[in-house]
Amino acid sequence: MKWGLLALASALLIYPFILTGPFYWDVGVTFLLAAISASAWNIVGGYAGQVSVGHSMFFGIGAYVPLLFYQLWGWPPVAGVPAGIVVSLLLAVAIGLPTFRLQGHYFSMATIAIAELIRIFVGTWDLVGAAIGLQGPAVGRAWWDLTFRSELPYYYIFLAVLGVVLYTTYELARSRFGYYLRAIKAGERAARSLGVPVRQTKLKALMLSATFTSVAGSLYAIKTGFIDPESGFGILVSVQMVIIAALGGAGTLLGPLVGALILVPLQTATNTFFGGGGSGLTYILYGGMIVLLARFEPGGMHELWDRIAPRLPRRSHAA
Amino acid sequence: MLLLQVIVGGLLLGAIYALFSSGLTLIWGMMNVINFAHGEFVMLGMYVALLVVVWIGGGPETFGFAAAFALFALGVCVYLSLIRHVMRGPMLAQILSTFGLALLLRYTAFWIFSANFVSLPQTSFSGTLNVAGILLPVPQLVAGVVAAALTIALHLLLTRTTLGSQLLAVAEDRSASMLMGIRPDRMQAIAWGLAGASAGIAGALMAMSYPWSPSVGETFGLTAFVVVTLGGFGSVPGAMYAGLIIGLVQALSAYWLGPIYKDIIVYALFAALLWLRPQGLMGKA
Amino acid sequence: MLLSAEKISKAFGGFLAVRGADLAVDEGEIIGLIGPNGAGKSTFFNCLAGDMTPSTGRVLLDGTDVTRASAEAHAQAGVGRTFQVPITFEDMTILENVMVGAFLRHHHRRDAREHALHIIELTGLTTQASQRARSLGTPGRKRLEIARVLATGPRLMLLDEALAGLTPAELQEAIALVRRIHELGVTLVIVEHIMEVILTLAQRVLVFNQGHVIAHGKPDEIVRNEVVIEAYLGRGHRRRRAAP
Repeated sequence: MKWGLLALASALLIYPFILTGPFYWDVGVTFLLAAISASAWNIVGGYAGQVSVGHSMFFGIGAYVPLLFYQLWGWPPVAGVPAGIVVSLLLAVAIGLPTFRLQGHYFSMATIAIAELIRIFVGTWDLVGAAIGLQGPAVGRAWWDLTFRSELPYYYIFLAVLGVVLYTTYELARSRFGYYLRAIKAGERAARSLGVPVRQTKLKALMLSATFTSVAGSLYAIKTGFIDPESGFGILVSVQMVIIAALGGAGTLLGPLVGALILVPLQTATNTFFGGGGSGLTYILYGGMIVLLARFEPGGMHELWDRIAPRLPRRSHAA
Repeated sequence: MLLLQVIVGGLLLGAIYALFSSGLTLIWGMMNVINFAHGEFVMLGMYVALLVVVWIGGGPETFGFAAAFALFALGVCVYLSLIRHVMRGPMLAQILSTFGLALLLRYTAFWIFSANFVSLPQTSFSGTLNVAGILLPVPQLVAGVVAAALTIALHLLLTRTTLGSQLLAVAEDRSASMLMGIRPDRMQAIAWGLAGASAGIAGALMAMSYPWSPSVGETFGLTAFVVVTLGGFGSVPGAMYAGLIIGLVQALSAYWLGPIYKDIIVYALFAALLWLRPQGLMGKA
Repeated sequence: MLLSAEKISKAFGGFLAVRGADLAVDEGEIIGLIGPNGAGKSTFFNCLAGDMTPSTGRVLLDGTDVTRASAEAHAQAGVGRTFQVPITFEDMTILENVMVGAFLRHHHRRDAREHALHIIELTGLTTQASQRARSLGTPGRKRLEIARVLATGPRLMLLDEALAGLTPAELQEAIALVRRIHELGVTLVIVEHIMEVILTLAQRVLVFNQGHVIAHGKPDEIVRNEVVIEAYLGRGHRRRRAAP
């Protein structure tokens, strides 16, 4: 396992030098962003088992606030990242506090309703650009505007953030908090009877997830230099996070990574082949995939691997 | 007088909300599953109505029945092929199954019908009645009244008929109902059929008065969530009252604040409900 | 008085599952709770453990009113319980399951792990420690639940039919385990159908029927009690016994 991780990390580190050029670098950046978002979702959706289908609300906030700071006061977008996190945290508490004392469906319904509410509202609010959205600095004034011409710097920044998210998740999963999360997912009533503070634990998980998702949104906005209600708060942003994590294996450390590894190239390929019109097809595909996953393999690739691996031919050790 | 008209209009639409939401709450109360694709069921009902009018040239009775029948069948199919299996599994699978279905149905509809808004050609219900200064478009009036009647009919079905008591028995205690010779699987399939039918007819009724596109499913789905939460877990009478209230709130929001706000207010109301009274009107604290 | 429950009632809609049940447990006791199925024993347990809030009545722990306290708070205060149908964390290993319990009082992973291993040894699960919980049969699951709860360091344990469905040999082992737990200083209230368990372990027995306590006393008195026999075997029994 450790060797595999080392190999993976190395591969990610040298990828831009193996597949060079703007196209491959862009795919790499898209992959990393998808992995970060999905890993963020994974904390509350995978580990804690609280299924958010409106996570785009945190992504969108993380994307809008930095660009708003630039638009209003000319600050470098990066300065707005902490503020984005704060707003996301407040929203997380506002949603989690009432719903985590109720059965799970309420939380899921609330996430989708609030995400929609925000999306519609932002689309009418002139301060944040209404339907048109916000833009970042077209040309960087200094290095801290982070407007790079090449994808390469973004790739390594995103990679570093992914590293932080994964490391945090890893440490968390091994800790008391992590065990409590898994217990809640596996049997909430039993968890309660063992003294697990269910509501608080779920809330903390949501807050952590919201933080990372917000950062992902900020990264997106800084890189593309643009955000609008659909790209920030749209349902497809939420769907993508969920399907990537679920496909790879929700509740596992590397599940989101695996999911992104499969879906991002797939999506790039269909976009290239079918062009813009293909996007309709992509979402039919997503919907179908999610249904199939839910029906046949809710544990994703990770569970599939667990089932198949023992049956694969093994090298026998010398007696 | 305009205000009164707005109120009546809101109540009439609210009756339709009550109709499709009662199907959703029935399933929720019976097997603790929330159908995230319920809005899409309504949307499909609308398209079935369109297809019936375009292909066969049928009138409201025809496309009403067609929508009910088609969506009943869809509901049963979805239950047998999907829900039955994920019900016993992890929450993630349960929620993803109907959520994925919603996406599948919505984007397939986009692909087949395009994103353009469509509407039904005029039906035998047309014109506007003038009742004491209030202008009531006949299609909306008929739709609202029929929806209210059907919702009450569903409630009576559940509380006064043998089938209804069997459905409720399964909702109450699955194993006990098996001992009484009721087959839970069959009852749950029927419940899904009823839920589908309620959504389908509601869609057909709305199609008489409002234009639509595949995108409306998402809004209807969310509206249904708010209605069933306000009405209370599993309560059809609750859904009736709540549907009317939501229809009213929506109409008044549009009237006083502007059309953009009609959905925002409803979702904000949902958030407030979760904070203040999640059990809704009819639920237990 | 460690735990006392006064006039506990619990209604579900129109149905009164528990009505006016009382219980008084002193530290160090082993109390048996018997009664026919559907008598309301598990519901009563749920009220004692904070899993449900009673409709009326009070539950006092060390004199403090915990009637409305959550299940988590109960556990933190030292009340542990097992479930009639075990709720194990299926995809987690036995060790991990027990660690969840251990984490209540041992906040660091290493301490929790050590404590969990200690409990696992006590409950005889050492050889299976790294197996997934789903690989266990029902007896194993019941034992896992006991281990998991024990790891929380409870003062009072409520065991809900924890010894059901065991072979005679397993039953003796289980009885011995319960004794060991008692020797550690844990007070026990045990719901059981198996008379042997009650007669061997319980110092006092309460008999439940139709939601309240119909008799209580020493085990050997209870088995001879007319009212109790009638509860289990029905009214006809007395007539049959009286007839020549």
